[in-house]
Amino acid sequence: MVITIDHESVEVFSGETILEVARRTGHAIPSLCYAKESVHKSSCMVCAVKNCDNGQIIPSCTTLPTEGMHVETDSEEVRLIRSLSLELLLSDHRADCDAPCIMVCPQGLNIERMLHYYDGGHFGEAYRVLDAAFLLPQIACDTCKAPCEKVCRRGSIDQPVSIRTIIREIAAKAYPTSPEAGKKGWKLDKNRFQSRIGRFTEKESALLKATIHTSSNCLHCTCAGQTGCKLRLFATEAGIKRSRYESYSALPAMQKIQVSGKLWFEQAKCIRCGLCVYNSEDGFTFKGRGFGMQVVIPDESKNNMEEEMAELCPTGALYILEK
Amino acid sequence: MACTCDTSKVETNEATIARVDAIIDRIGKTRDIVIPLLQALQQEFSYLSSTAVERIYEQTEIDRAQLISVSTFYSQFRHIPYGKHLIKVCTGTACHVKGAGNVYDSFIRELKIENGSITTEDKLFSIEKIACLGCCTLAPVVQIDEKIYGHVLPGKVNEVIEDFLLLQGNIEKEETAHARRKIAGEIRLGMGSCCQASGSSDIYKELLSASAQLGIQVNIKPVGCVGVCNKVPLIDVVLPDGSITRYPKVKASEIKEILHHHFKPAGYLNRLKNNFLNHVDTIHTDVTWDNVIWKSEHERTGVIDTFLTGQKHISTEGFGFLAPLHIDEYIAHSGFDALKKVLSCDRKEIISTILKSGIRGRGGGGFTTGKKWEIVASSLNKDKYVICNGDEGDPGAFMDRMMLESYPYRVIEGMIIAGYAVGANNGIFYIRAEYPLAVTRIRAALQFCREHNLIGEHIAGSNFSFDVSIFEGAGAFVCGEETALIASIEGERGFPKQRPPYPAVEGLHGKPTLVNNVETLSQIAYIINNGSDQYSQIGTKGSKGTKVFALAGKIRFGGLIEVPMGITLNQIINDIGGGVDGGEKLKAVQIGGPSGGCIPAHLCDVQVDFDAFNQMGAMMGSGGLVVLSESDCMVDMARYFLSFTCDQSCGKCTFCRVGIRRMLDILEKLCSGKAEMADIDTLEQLALNVKKASLCGLGKTAPNPVLTTLKYFREEYEEHVKGICKTGTCKGMIKYVVTDDCIGCTRCAKACPVDAIPYTPYEVHTIDTDKCVLCGLCVNECKYDAIHKVPLRSI
Repeated sequence: MVITIDHESVEVFSGETILEVARRTGHAIPSLCYAKESVHKSSCMVCAVKNCDNGQIIPSCTTLPTEGMHVETDSEEVRLIRSLSLELLLSDHRADCDAPCIMVCPQGLNIERMLHYYDGGHFGEAYRVLDAAFLLPQIACDTCKAPCEKVCRRGSIDQPVSIRTIIREIAAKAYPTSPEAGKKGWKLDKNRFQSRIGRFTEKESALLKATIHTSSNCLHCTCAGQTGCKLRLFATEAGIKRSRYESYSALPAMQKIQVSGKLWFEQAKCIRCGLCVYNSEDGFTFKGRGFGMQVVIPDESKNNMEEEMAELCPTGALYILEK
Repeated sequence: MACTCDTSKVETNEATIARVDAIIDRIGKTRDIVIPLLQALQQEFSYLSSTAVERIYEQTEIDRAQLISVSTFYSQFRHIPYGKHLIKVCTGTACHVKGAGNVYDSFIRELKIENGSITTEDKLFSIEKIACLGCCTLAPVVQIDEKIYGHVLPGKVNEVIEDFLLLQGNIEKEETAHARRKIAGEIRLGMGSCCQASGSSDIYKELLSASAQLGIQVNIKPVGCVGVCNKVPLIDVVLPDGSITRYPKVKASEIKEILHHHFKPAGYLNRLKNNFLNHVDTIHTDVTWDNVIWKSEHERTGVIDTFLTGQKHISTEGFGFLAPLHIDEYIAHSGFDALKKVLSCDRKEIISTILKSGIRGRGGGGFTTGKKWEIVASSLNKDKYVICNGDEGDPGAFMDRMMLESYPYRVIEGMIIAGYAVGANNGIFYIRAEYPLAVTRIRAALQFCREHNLIGEHIAGSNFSFDVSIFEGAGAFVCGEETALIASIEGERGFPKQRPPYPAVEGLHGKPTLVNNVETLSQIAYIINNGSDQYSQIGTKGSKGTKVFALAGKIRFGGLIEVPMGITLNQIINDIGGGVDGGEKLKAVQIGGPSGGCIPAHLCDVQVDFDAFNQMGAMMGSGGLVVLSESDCMVDMARYFLSFTCDQSCGKCTFCRVGIRRMLDILEKLCSGKAEMADIDTLEQLALNVKKASLCGLGKTAPNPVLTTLKYFREEYEEHVKGICKTGTCKGMIKYVVTDDCIGCTRCAKACPVDAIPYTPYEVHTIDTDKCVLCGLCVNECKYDAIHKVPLRSI
């Protein structure tokens, strides 16, 4: 079978969807809810293309081509649909990509990462993060007005994390024993899309205050699943700065639950594509419908889930957390 | 997971489990029966208790993931125990424009239900909003358990509750059965759901008891819907000579007099008869006699005659005289003739007749019915299905319910013919759970058909076998979409599937499946009996035959009408409906419910036609026709429909799930006066793209109410940005004020449910706008027209 993609004739192999043909022949089409070799059912519409024969916008990930079909993957109209679908998804996405403290640190210290090691008792690792940003970690923040503490989300709940005090503590504790200091590398890429969590509701504040007791008090706003996050990748590519719709979202911010082993789930980052639902047996499931539809995991079914599930998730909703 | 609390501690766990097991034994253990199973459990326990649900996990193939997924998708299922009685407040379109929101608020206040709960503290009442009870002509409507109350005013909810409790107290007296000798003549009484809602059951009982008391042995015959919902309860008295006298809006107290008037008990003084009757007729026209209001002849029947002229009965053939379940009568009126005719025909011939007739699907999309039949028939697969789509979910539409209730045999006949034509041996009626009477009647009708060898093996002695079952929908508008409907029969969430493959090729259980709407099937017998030529003469070039509409809203005579395609909207409104209610000016007609749009008054000379409506941005939809007057706000209309589709979206694709919600956000901003001009453009752009990029029909048509109102009434949106709602519908932009006409009678102060009007006798009253909830009770109560609704900002 032969079809036309963006005025170019291409051969279709048996069973291929439009998305698969296009990608194989060098036409880049973004997609979130598609996963090769797994059950997937169109949901996100980020892979939208136009069927020029009838003018319809179709999801390329599940549509099978028909003989002589003419498809458009890169027109103004298609790009608008794609970026709109991303914007809509992001308007119901209550999460930070990077923690606010990191964003404002004039030295580019990955504060959240450092606090992650600190909370886990790994002072050496924490020191290494510190050392990557400062020449002299011991006096690192002495002259700084600490914007990090001013923007700290914990501050909106009770007290901001005492970042400078903790830095001094790490420096003092770890310096003599820390090996291989001076490994540079991490740098915040400010060109990437940044999702923002927005204000906590009163209920959320109360819940977070009551439940999060790390030794640093840090909420760990940075998305732990951001390495494989396609949502951020395509939002950046589409040049989206922030969603243009005022966020009203019913999703509970920062409710992170341990599914099994290192597998964690944070609902506020879920785009309800259903990949984890369709590809698990008696595990993740949908609850409710419409805008209020959620993906949930009943406590009794958590053990049915394998850590590999995180690879399917197109966002940071399902992630592996190394302690 | 599904439920955490269980209050029924009276019963032991073992007993509960035994009851659950009995249900599982009866219904089955496979994954695909999850919906019937949950329905049966809920019927037994009134909600899905955790004990019952746990037992399902243990005893059946259904797992946690499936059960949670399904039971939270369909709105029928409850996870918490409800109060003893359930109050359902209809929020259909007709009820909405007549103030259902205020009625709901009044119940909440009256029953002191607080903190977002839905149940009273004493667990006596629970309350919920329901999409549509299908009694649009009685709007606003409230149903408490089985009892329906029409025309409920916010100020009268306490009376409704009292009446209901009183009714509970009186154990219904047993009817005395009387052997009846037949005498010529009969009394016909409409017994559709809406007729019953307006009290026809009471009339029926009264007819039975009064005729017994008076010794008048006349045949009392409950018939299907008459369509004249604005005049129900309606009885037709058929005299021995065949002449018919109609009594609209009959009261139980009038029955005796009516019986007396027409039928004389045997042995009654015959010589007095003529004399007496003459007297009665002269005296009792337009005068009150013994509490009976006798209307003049014209008033009695004139309106109904006007209402019925201009209609054409194809789907509703036999209206007003056919008893819904009387199979012999249906057969006597050439019922099942069409079926017998086709059983000796070649299948291709039947399909070509249907193709030639030009009939298009009545479910909304308007796909050519014959084409669909052809596709299914062309498949070589031996297993095929015919599904009758009776999941009518539009708020403001109740045609399918009426047809299933009143003409069950006609729909069944259409289905068997379709089955024969496409070579299917299985039929399924998919009927909304909210239509219990329709389910009961179809079930009974199927049984009668079975007894008459009209379904089952070797129908009517032919080689064709066809069996029919019923599937009760569980409350999801999206299941009107055929792929979602099929998913729900298979025991899944009602998620639509990507098409192609179309159900006609790969449908239920992967087999070719013909899905036709109730109304489509009810037209088939006519086409077969009268030929495609006669059928295609009715209507316009692209739309043939008749269409049934539910005419409601601000119309003088609402009801169920069947009109030939090609009639104009103005003709429907003025000639059949008697014009706009209360002498107001027509503003627009909302057609097609949440998938359709608003057609402005100046364009109402448009003909009823699939393509003409589509061109205007509206849609035939399933046939709700709501008339809007100058006092209706179009922005609020758009918001109302969007809130419906937002609630009913299945949630699968981004544009429908999030896009509609974001549109609704903007509309809510507009209706509360907080929007900016730029929001209108954002709304429009979003609407256009939701229409383009949603995956199924629900999302693709959901923006129509917004797009049509933006197209024809954009200035109203702009006014809302400026903080003005001229009609005073949007509560964020109005307040109530007392004028100098007030004499200080304190009626308003007493009526106010939130004490916003201080009790100041003989002084001009004042309204505390901070306390006022804008329910409008004081306006209804004021005898001096001294309370006015005024905009917060000046126009």
